[in-house]
Amino acid sequence: MNWTNRSDENAELDVLLRAYREACPDPDASANFMPGLWRRIEERQRSVFFLGRWARALVTAAAVLSLGMAAYLYIPHGSTSVFSVESYVEALAAGHAQDAPSLPEAVDEL
Amino acid sequence: MLVDFEIIKRAQAGDAPAFNEIVLAYRKRTLGTIARLISRPEDVEDVGQEVFLRLYFSLDQLRTAEVFEPWLYRLTVNAAYDYLRKHRRRMESRMSDLSEQQVVLADAMAGGRVDHEVRQRRQIAEAVDAMLSTVSEADRILLTLKEVEGLSLKELEKIYRVKENALKVRLFRARQRVLKAFGESGKEPSAKGAAKAEI
Repeated sequence: MNWTNRSDENAELDVLLRAYREACPDPDASANFMPGLWRRIEERQRSVFFLGRWARALVTAAAVLSLGMAAYLYIPHGSTSVFSVESYVEALAAGHAQDAPSLPEAVDEL
Repeated sequence: MLVDFEIIKRAQAGDAPAFNEIVLAYRKRTLGTIARLISRPEDVEDVGQEVFLRLYFSLDQLRTAEVFEPWLYRLTVNAAYDYLRKHRRRMESRMSDLSEQQVVLADAMAGGRVDHEVRQRRQIAEAVDAMLSTVSEADRILLTLKEVEGLSLKELEKIYRVKENALKVRLFRARQRVLKAFGESGKEPSAKGAAKAEI
């Protein structure tokens, strides 16, 4: 009974879908179809073009900035440099110069 | 093929008249497929333009003539799928949702000015549309391509780029889901009524 129902429904569905094809024939395009399509193509081309220009400008700016930073870091800036060439021990000794006893005084105390 | 591959090659090289020739050759068929896939006459041209827009910008990727038609179908399917996802279909169409053309048609039908054949076509289209709106967009498109557009499994294989067996399984499941909706519609006069009227 169930199988019969299912096969009936299958057949009815086939008929309905075939009828749907005939009920919805291929429509004709309006006169605006081609102009509208070309307008959309040109809009897309324009946006792609501007996006490309922005991307190129951004890449150029990034490259210039990188070169500038590299040049700034490469050129020595004397004592104002934030980087020190001294070792840690040398820096410590320079910072505590007056705390360290001179060598003759130290010998006298002995 | 409705156009020579030479024309496609010219269009690939940026020849606008050649591209126009391709659009003119495939426009009617593509719009028909879209109309049956989305069931919204007022949006068919918009989706059709989207298909040819995508074609224009991806034409340079085409290498051989024999893949052109499956490829155009693929673009059509993708554009219809995107449209259907964006405009999830409502189960019931309210008067406010109808296009101007549909309102005129509905008014005319109410006044008895539209003949029996037009009314029956409309009834069938609405019944199938309502039935297909109960399944997923993917099922709807696959089933429409196979059962309504009459594409073979070989053609579907090229469009979907999946093996025939996988397609058969997907088709079977899609059909089962539609059959379920169809069976349920038997309680209402819509789809089954339309099918019986057609028989």
